[in-house]
Amino acid sequence: MRRLAGFNTVVALLPISVLAQATVEGRVGLPKSHSAPVVAKRYEIVTRAGVLSTQPPLAVVYLAGFPKVRLSPTNQIAQKNLAFVPSLLPVQVGTKVEFPNLDDTYHSIFSYSPAKRFDLGRYRPEERPIPSQVFDTPGLVTLRCDIHEHMRGLILVLDTPYFVVTGADGRFRLSRLPAGHYTLKAWIDSKTTRERPVELKSGETLHIDFP
Amino acid sequence: MKLLRALSFCLVACTVRAFEVEDFFDRLDNTLTIAAFEDNLRARLSGTIDLEAYHFQQPAPGLIDSNIDNLFNPRLTLFLDAQLGFQIYFFTQSRLDRGFDPSDHDAQIRLDEYALRFTPWEDGRFNLQVGKFATVVGNWVPRHLSWENPFINAPLVYENVTAISDKAAPVSPRNFIGRFDNEKYEFNPVIWGPSYASGISFSGRLGRFDYATEMKNSSLSSRPESWSVTAIGFEHPTFSGRVGFRPNQIWNFGLSASDGPYFRPEAEQTLPPGRDIGDYREFVLGQDVSFASHHLQLWAEFYEARFEVPRVGDADTFAYYLEAKYKFTPQLFGALRWNQQLFGNVSDGTGGQFHWGQDLGRIDVAAGYRFTSHTQLKLQYSFQQETTGPRDDNHLIAAQLTVRF
Repeated sequence: MRRLAGFNTVVALLPISVLAQATVEGRVGLPKSHSAPVVAKRYEIVTRAGVLSTQPPLAVVYLAGFPKVRLSPTNQIAQKNLAFVPSLLPVQVGTKVEFPNLDDTYHSIFSYSPAKRFDLGRYRPEERPIPSQVFDTPGLVTLRCDIHEHMRGLILVLDTPYFVVTGADGRFRLSRLPAGHYTLKAWIDSKTTRERPVELKSGETLHIDFP
Repeated sequence: MKLLRALSFCLVACTVRAFEVEDFFDRLDNTLTIAAFEDNLRARLSGTIDLEAYHFQQPAPGLIDSNIDNLFNPRLTLFLDAQLGFQIYFFTQSRLDRGFDPSDHDAQIRLDEYALRFTPWEDGRFNLQVGKFATVVGNWVPRHLSWENPFINAPLVYENVTAISDKAAPVSPRNFIGRFDNEKYEFNPVIWGPSYASGISFSGRLGRFDYATEMKNSSLSSRPESWSVTAIGFEHPTFSGRVGFRPNQIWNFGLSASDGPYFRPEAEQTLPPGRDIGDYREFVLGQDVSFASHHLQLWAEFYEARFEVPRVGDADTFAYYLEAKYKFTPQLFGALRWNQQLFGNVSDGTGGQFHWGQDLGRIDVAAGYRFTSHTQLKLQYSFQQETTGPRDDNHLIAAQLTVRF
């Protein structure tokens, strides 16, 4: 999982990255943290006490505006402690995402988002092969669980191999980028994407903030 | 006509602007969730808006209380879920509608459920719950709300009114049956819906087994007016329980039992001299099984019930249903349910015996479509036929639009 999560910056697999030397770093102003969800346990009279942890808002910073590079990588979003982990996953178009169930109860993951409609049905922790979907259309995909109403996760499908998730403090560092003129975008939430034109030069580090 | 046009507009809007609708409800959900004391206290307000339309033959089937064939039944349901630390959970369910069961009455507001749950250990081996809440018996309760229920109505055993009345004892065996045609809402089913009676429950999970037991102020067959502690106290409590066995995630088996007096206080004066409410009880034995794998879900419940009826004796009935739901696409599902209830014989007081109810079967067919994860439309057709007696049948067509927030 962790190894695959580190795949967020997929530059290592790209042939184009041989020439990529530029770096962009900075900080994205993140919205106020939401309250952690409350698990509705009304009719599950036999329930575990589970309290969900607060998931801080994060942003995705990505580079747009260069020739498309199609890959077929694999990534994962697990269901653990009745939550999606990670709660926000950027992937490149064409990525296969697996949804392993790490809880000892059923999950039923689905999405009605225009970028990807699917319903995995109910599946067990030991389900093999791990249920998965290929995300082949750019856009935001909201993941939900038909059994656990509070569960919500996001997959941001991007037509670029250059992206990174910010830290909880909004800081990011996107390295090994190709030189040239591009647009740097910061996806903050479904309504908010900020962007700045950038000129990347080999060997240079650019500092960009999205207040 | 205006209503239909408005409904069509809403559905088209939901489909075309699905993403915006989803986004709006997700933001609303965030707004309606609050936290305090460093997230140790969390509360969430949520709910559903249900617009139901029924067309049926008279007499209205099940617990529908209406003298007109076409019924529009809107309902607003609000839930409050609150968590304090990991040990304390509190919830309420309040409704604004035309009655607990679909009816042509005026609007009313009710607090249908409220309960406080204490969970001392995180593994859930023991839970204590106090309040007014759904019964632990059977496996239908977890899916009885409009969003989770594949159908618009309840299984037959939860809504088929029998000759049992909790308001007055019959004066003779013949009167037991003869009075039944008068006013349906004066009589009771084996289990009245999810039975939100008041009381206390203990429940938990031990390995592959789970248990739940409750002491409530009213029996499973009691009407909604009897569920509040302000209406009925604990002088004659009902004890119910369920033991479940889950060999794996796919299968779940359960055994339930319930025992308690079923008469309301006003029936006391109609009982035989020297007898009181506690002498006439409702016994229920239940078996349930469920199966779930991928897009298929199956449920079944079997109930044997006995009512001790003054001046009549024991009135036995057996009811069951088999239910299936299948998701054809991410948004479209279909459901099928076969229900049957059979009645035993009681003495007529002169050495003979007679059936105390007409055996009947009912088939329910439903289809549902989720426009968004917050908007759902269900259509249902039901055909019910008595298989003994006058063999009356009844057709029901129903539609239900649910908006969940």
